[in-house]
This record gives sequence, structure tokens and C-alpha cells, in this order.
Amino acid sequence: MSVKTEVKNDLTVCCIEGEIDINTAPDIKKVFEKLTAKKTPKIVINLTKVTYVDSSGLATLVEILKNMRAYGGRMRLTNMSHKIKSLFEITKLEKLFEIIADETEAIATFV
Amino acid sequence: MNRRSDIGKSSLKIPSDVKYVREVSSGILKWLEPWKLDDSALFDIRLCVEEVVRNAIKHGNNDDKSLKVLVNYWLEGARLIIEVEDEGKGFDLGKVPDPTIEENIMKGSGRGIYIVRRLMDEMEFNDKGNKVRLTKYLK
Repeated sequence: MSVKTEVKNDLTVCCIEGEIDINTAPDIKKVFEKLTAKKTPKIVINLTKVTYVDSSGLATLVEILKNMRAYGGRMRLTNMSHKIKSLFEITKLEKLFEIIADETEAIATFV
Repeated sequence: MNRRSDIGKSSLKIPSDVKYVREVSSGILKWLEPWKLDDSALFDIRLCVEEVVRNAIKHGNNDDKSLKVLVNYWLEGARLIIEVEDEGKGFDLGKVPDPTIEENIMKGSGRGIYIVRRLMDEMEFNDKGNKVRLTKYLK
């Protein structure tokens, strides 16, 4: 698993590659703890290269969202595979997150 | 990890250590290779196996490495059946809160069993609550 981070004006784009599960959750948390510690106002997480998510992975994303909301930050998830999107639908997390089809659109409309 | 294969049935027995979870799911997916299932079905099976085995280790056997988790899996026609049994006191499915309701949606845990229920065609616990049987209809 790896996370590539790129700052674009007032927002930060993070591309996660690999699996988001119980094994990778601690490393993902560390990356985002650095961003939330700096109170990064807007984060776009691109999931194009994410092949697998388990319940711990979902919990990790919820925790990041919770940390961001605590200081008024916002997060968007983009480029989810059909399979991963179905997990968000099953768990009703689709209501909690801003899920945008692709990164370009997420950035262009992130006001 | 002990591996034993009977006619149509395979078994894996692992210590209660989460480092073996992936070995169980990989073993089952490899065993399923001849059936050439699509990626969606394989994703569901892997996810559900890993969730229930982890649940058996953590909540069933309380991470006690001296206790084992037994996984049996076989095919009955087009039905894949996976049984996961721990040596713990049992799990009360009725006490698992609904993770999708407003008061729980932001919680960090409690989604695993809910997801398994939705992705498998059947999920059934024994009376003691230490053995779960998952059924998936293979297309």
C-alpha cells in the first residue's frame, strides 16, 4: 500500500494504491494524521488504484472524516470501483461521504 | 497451519492470530480457482471469510493464541459453504448493533458482520454462537 500526496492550491489530493484493510490501516492513519494535524481544509482521496477494502478500511476512512470535521475540514472520495462503491452503499456510508465520480470533477467543484 | 482435504471438503485450522487470516482467504480462493468465479464473487468471498475469521479470533477466542479457529469449506452443487468455528464462549448476533443507523454510523467498528450478512446468501450461527456457516450461491 502507498499514498501519494499532492498539494493543489488550497486542497490536497491523495492517491491510495493497494488495499485498505486491517493490515494497511495503521500506515494510512499515519499519513492522514499528518494532514489533519495541519488542519488541511480540503482533501480529495483518489481510490482508482485501491483493489480491496474491508471493514477496518472503511472504519479508517470514517476516522479520517471525523478528524477533519472536528476542525471544519472536508473530504471527497473519488474514482471508486463499482465493487468498493457497493460497500459504501451497503453500509450506508455513501450518505456520510462526499463521493464524486472522478478526481477532476471533485477538484473543479470543491468550493 | 494444518491442512486436510476430504472428498469435497477442505479444512484449515489456525491459531488465534490475525496474521493467519490472509492465509485462510487465499487458501479458499485458490481452492476455488477451477470454478473460474468472477472478480466480484471472489471479492465477496475473500472479504466475508476474512471478516468472520478475524471475528472468531478477536471476539470468539479473545486473541488467545492457544485457542484455534477451524475453517471447513465445501461445495454442495452450486452452493459454496464455509464454516468458521472458534473455541470461545459464543457470539450473540442479536447484540450486534446496526452500524447503519445514525447513532452508529460514525463508529469505528461493527460493520464486519453486517457486511457479511449482506454479501453472503445465508449466514447462520449455531446455538452456542461459536460457529458460523456462510452460504454463497455460485453463478
